[in-house]
Amino acid sequence: MNNVLEIKNFSKVYSGNKKAVDNLNLMVRAGEIHAFIGHNGAGKTTTIRAVVGIMDFDVGEILINGHSVKDEPVKCKSMTAFIPDNPDLYDYVTGIQYLNYMCDMFSVPAKERVSRIQKYADILKLTHSLGDFISSYSHGMKQKLALIGAFIHSPQLIVLDEPFVGLDPEATFHLKKMMRELCDAGAAIFFSTHVLEVAEKLCDKVTIIHNGRMVVSGTMEEIKGSHSLEDVFMEVVENERQI
Amino acid sequence: MNGKYKYLLRMQLYNLFGINRLIHSRDKQEKQRSGVVIAFGLAAIAILVIYTTKFSNDMAGAGLGEALPTLMVATCSLAALVLTFVKSTGVLIGIKDYDMVMPMPVNTVSIVASRITLLYLTNLMIGFITMLPSGIIYIVYEHPPICSYLFFVCALFLAPIIPMIISLSAGVFIVAVSSRSRHKNTLSLVLSTITVLVLVFASAKTQSMDTAQISNLGVAMAETANKFYPPAILFTNALLYSDWTSFAIFAAVSLLPGIAFIAIVSHYYKALNTAVFSHYAKKDYKMGALKASSPFMALYKKEFRRLSSCTIYALNSCIGIVLLLVVAVMAVFFMPPSLPQQTQAAGIMDTIQNILPFALAIFVSMTSTTAASLSLEGKNRWIMCSVPTQARTVYHSKIAVNLTVILPALYVSAIFIRIAFPCSFMQTVLLFLIPTVYAFFISVLGIYLNIKFPKYDWTSEYYAVKGGAISVLAAVGGGMASSFIPLYLCILFPHYQMIIMLGIPCLILLATLAIYYKVCQTQLYV
Repeated sequence: MNNVLEIKNFSKVYSGNKKAVDNLNLMVRAGEIHAFIGHNGAGKTTTIRAVVGIMDFDVGEILINGHSVKDEPVKCKSMTAFIPDNPDLYDYVTGIQYLNYMCDMFSVPAKERVSRIQKYADILKLTHSLGDFISSYSHGMKQKLALIGAFIHSPQLIVLDEPFVGLDPEATFHLKKMMRELCDAGAAIFFSTHVLEVAEKLCDKVTIIHNGRMVVSGTMEEIKGSHSLEDVFMEVVENERQI
Repeated sequence: MNGKYKYLLRMQLYNLFGINRLIHSRDKQEKQRSGVVIAFGLAAIAILVIYTTKFSNDMAGAGLGEALPTLMVATCSLAALVLTFVKSTGVLIGIKDYDMVMPMPVNTVSIVASRITLLYLTNLMIGFITMLPSGIIYIVYEHPPICSYLFFVCALFLAPIIPMIISLSAGVFIVAVSSRSRHKNTLSLVLSTITVLVLVFASAKTQSMDTAQISNLGVAMAETANKFYPPAILFTNALLYSDWTSFAIFAAVSLLPGIAFIAIVSHYYKALNTAVFSHYAKKDYKMGALKASSPFMALYKKEFRRLSSCTIYALNSCIGIVLLLVVAVMAVFFMPPSLPQQTQAAGIMDTIQNILPFALAIFVSMTSTTAASLSLEGKNRWIMCSVPTQARTVYHSKIAVNLTVILPALYVSAIFIRIAFPCSFMQTVLLFLIPTVYAFFISVLGIYLNIKFPKYDWTSEYYAVKGGAISVLAAVGGGMASSFIPLYLCILFPHYQMIIMLGIPCLILLATLAIYYKVCQTQLYV
């Protein structure tokens, strides 16, 4: 299987010489769901922002399907879907206007967009609210709308920052199913989460990052063995602190 | 009201003019940006102080010092009236941190008072700028008794209150009325635009009254201010005749409406905000056909929705072109028929015809939706940055919206102006051409400055559009200066009018192309 996402020697230094990410290397293959785990401020969001091309960086290389995020940003973005940890959407448009906007931006064919929106909106129980302004949506509804906006253009890579925050149990169940279906169709998913139980059950691979450095990366079986992911995470982080 | 009021106020002050960022930011660029905002503000204050001092000095030197107290109060009140109105909807009601402030163990009187105090402090600054230099000159020339000093110092603090309350009341009224409507943003925009037009034209009307009869403009203004604004008479009487009663009434009519306003708004604060934040949710959508657009068109439509959804944004960025349209219509229908003949007889018709394109350009330069368009993306900017499109397509869509706002209104206005003022073929062509160049200039300059000085961390759109938004101030200031200077040069050097009229727009066009090239090279990041 080909590498959908490749991060090579990626480092990010913020002003004041604070190294947010230090020489990170990882790969996400087609069909893979890859969890990205770390404590608050470990460098997860910085990495994710660089991957989706919304944050500039100087050191390292990030490739999506072999294309450089730095050199071919538009090409890379057209293959990627991204949802941040707190998806603030345009309050002044209706749900359907937002989704149609995303279809326009990602060049979803006019004939297919209705069926795709219908499919995901029905799954996430949002169809009836699509005519309402986003300002009237609850946090969870906005999260669902952002998810539909990410899935409708059939991306080859979905990058999610804490995707399960704010979702109701039913939507969480459906999201996990949607993620697996998309990966079975050949796409890849790279997401950060603090919900280790979900990561453990859902993901094929996991990377743990601590203070900007990758500590562990591998298949879920390799990493956790007979333990729980939570136990492994706590042990790894504790060891790192002692070092 | 309890002591927590001061904490609320302090939190408000942190966001004012980027002071907190200047003090605490470790980011050099951030500090530079805040420094530029403050330097720009100080320069504007210095210009205003110099202008006020010179005007007051000239008046006092001509033996008209007694008109100064009235003029001080009138100028301060007018400035407070207009400036408060444009802030009233965004600062008091419908603010983004409402959910954060209201659950705190503090009464609504404190919350409302802290918000009004912030407005009061900015108005107080305007009051000091407009009144202090005139007051000092009045004291130097007129040698009033000691009690007048006390009156003057108190008036510095009291004068902005009445106009502030009038404007805030109008703003709150508009919010209350429009919040009941399904199309509350549109209604609020229409009502606010009408109010601003009334304010602007009423002030222009009062200032021009009786000037034909009374030779001195300052005295005429003082007389009209006394006629239309009774508190000005009270203050004048207090200062000129050491009248304690007038002063006491002036203080009472300033303070009592302020206290009453805080009490009334506090009482209805929750209800008003609930109305503003409550949204119609029909939940009855059925999927139908969807129209596909190119990325540019999708961005353009989104940008237009942004403009029409935000009263404070539309009002501030489009008022210039609306004013032009109104002035042009008035020129056709309300201009005295004898005026063209009179100007012809006075030998100034040629100059008027030649400066008209620059006069139109001044209004055009006041219209920059682009200068705040990036800032207004705020927390939504991750969408703009992550969609697969070139950054320049995003900039193009924002520029296109500004041109859509300006050009149709400009051409209609130019047709009206052409009807009102007979012009040669060449002058007619320039009447359309020169403001068009400025329309492109202000659109590109606005986006360039907003890329340089974005303000994404706003709690109310007001802060992205007005309060310390350096990109807006610099774009409109630069645009207006670039059109006002050639206009002035045309009057100053009538023999070189054609060179100025052709040369300056060519320079502006070159500058526009250079800035546009720079804008297109800039990438968008969060």
